[in-house]
Amino acid sequence: MMTDITRLMTHDHRECDDLFASAENAAARGEWDKAGHALNAFAHALETHFSAEEEILFPRFEAVTGMTEGPTRMMKADHRNMREQLDLLRDAIAQKDSSAYEGESETLLIMMQQHNMKEENILYPMCDQQLAPERTDLADKLSGHLDGASK
Amino acid sequence: MKPTGSVLGYDSAPPISAPLRFFLSAPLFGIVAGVLLVFAPSLLESRWTPGALSITHLLTVGFMLMVMVGALFQVLPVVCGAAIPAVRLTATVVHVLIVGGALALAGGLLLMKPAVLMTAATLLGTGFAAFLFAAMIALLHAPAARGSQRDLRLALIGLGVAVMLGLALSLTLAKGLALPLLTMLELHVGWALLGGTGILLAATSWIVVPMFQITPPYPATLTRYWASLCILALTIWSVATVFDWSAAKTALSWSLVGFAAIFLIATLTLMRQTRRNVPDASFRSFRLGIWSLLGGLACLLATGFSDHPSLPVLTGVLVMYGGFVSIIQGMLYKIVPFLAWLNLTQSGIKAPNVKQLQPEAEARRQLMVHGLALAVLIVAVALGNLGMVRIAGLLVMLEFAWLASNMLGVIRAYRRARTGTTTTLGPGQTA
Repeated sequence: MMTDITRLMTHDHRECDDLFASAENAAARGEWDKAGHALNAFAHALETHFSAEEEILFPRFEAVTGMTEGPTRMMKADHRNMREQLDLLRDAIAQKDSSAYEGESETLLIMMQQHNMKEENILYPMCDQQLAPERTDLADKLSGHLDGASK
Repeated sequence: MKPTGSVLGYDSAPPISAPLRFFLSAPLFGIVAGVLLVFAPSLLESRWTPGALSITHLLTVGFMLMVMVGALFQVLPVVCGAAIPAVRLTATVVHVLIVGGALALAGGLLLMKPAVLMTAATLLGTGFAAFLFAAMIALLHAPAARGSQRDLRLALIGLGVAVMLGLALSLTLAKGLALPLLTMLELHVGWALLGGTGILLAATSWIVVPMFQITPPYPATLTRYWASLCILALTIWSVATVFDWSAAKTALSWSLVGFAAIFLIATLTLMRQTRRNVPDASFRSFRLGIWSLLGGLACLLATGFSDHPSLPVLTGVLVMYGGFVSIIQGMLYKIVPFLAWLNLTQSGIKAPNVKQLQPEAEARRQLMVHGLALAVLIVAVALGNLGMVRIAGLLVMLEFAWLASNMLGVIRAYRRARTGTTTTLGPGQTA
């Protein structure tokens, strides 16, 4: 059953993927200025997504389920790893090193998608279920946060 | 439902040795398949020779099933939130039984020795049953299933049916059970390739293709109904085959080919829309596999119009070696370096990136040999040229040895990183 939070957040994952690909394609062509801008756009979208989860969704999940050491803690650890990986991509662009970019980018993609699989298949459906009474309201807030930051 | 942290996080990932032992054993069976082709090239003259049956199972059980089971140890926790219980023990037992069973099966079929076939049936039956039982316990505790999660379960059922039919076939050959051999063989092939491997490929593709190749999603009707309809059609087809309702059986066979074609064409259509401009070796290998499966379907259809003995062999080569083996090799090049990276990162060690762990050039060269081996094998079978079958055999040996060597290279880089770096445990990272 596709429900509000699952659909909304999954859609945002795919938007982030799109920006990721733009940066990767520019770096592969050695268009470093373009790659830098594209990476910034991707990093911004990713950070907005993380903050929507860490500031809006996860606190509600933790409050309702009482699980503060559970799945949300794991997801936040993933977020930290991805932020570190973004720094490596910025370094590769600064050094105009396409082979470093390729390797770090591929690593980030696999890490990010493994993380997304866990969220889309398990955590978001759990949120939709556990937070059913406030789901629509929460989805509105998340949507506002994601849209607001993209302007 | 068990909504705990262990369901979701890195900590539910199995130890790296659980999937890796399966991945590292698999190429050995490919090498043995190559040796058989070199020393007994005439085995490909018909699909019925003991050698052809043996080589088929070296690839399907020794390589394909081996990697699929290993990958499921990793995939079930990530996709379904289902962690295999007592994972170290389960992996050890299942691995030993399947390796022993696959060797015995290939040997028993080659030599047509009842005692060896019985050993194979016992080992494989026990090993796969143990795996299914562990997976079932894990899935019982997992959250509700939809999409890929449901289809992974269907694939496990499909594989289970295929293995059971295989056991019945072994018993029939070894003990002379009064079962209709050809009918059961037909069912075994249908369930193994479409019900098990095909549905597992689809369930994986629903997720892997859009996420890793950055494409639009599969059409919702496909991900929602395709696998269930396949299982339904296979079931009715099986009944029609057992009772020999020839008109229904023909119609259902066509529908099964149609289902497979729809999935393959949808996958190629999506892959053409990838947002990533630089196709890597793994992507090319996956695409080669999908095209080869389509070629296999075309050959299968051709067997309805021609009795030429090389057509069924060509179908087998295209579906199993060109199709599933190519796709699995492409996936191994993504999974193995990532597992090494993940394990290092989780241990708080600064990990080399996945392309440093598995250099792209090495993967590309190995896959080129695989492609060449496939091309030579196709021509050799089509022309019935034994010399060319021998050359293909040498290439098959080379490509599987190279695959093993590439995976061992990842393990060596992983070990170097583990021993050469001081551990710095970051906040929130669990040792």
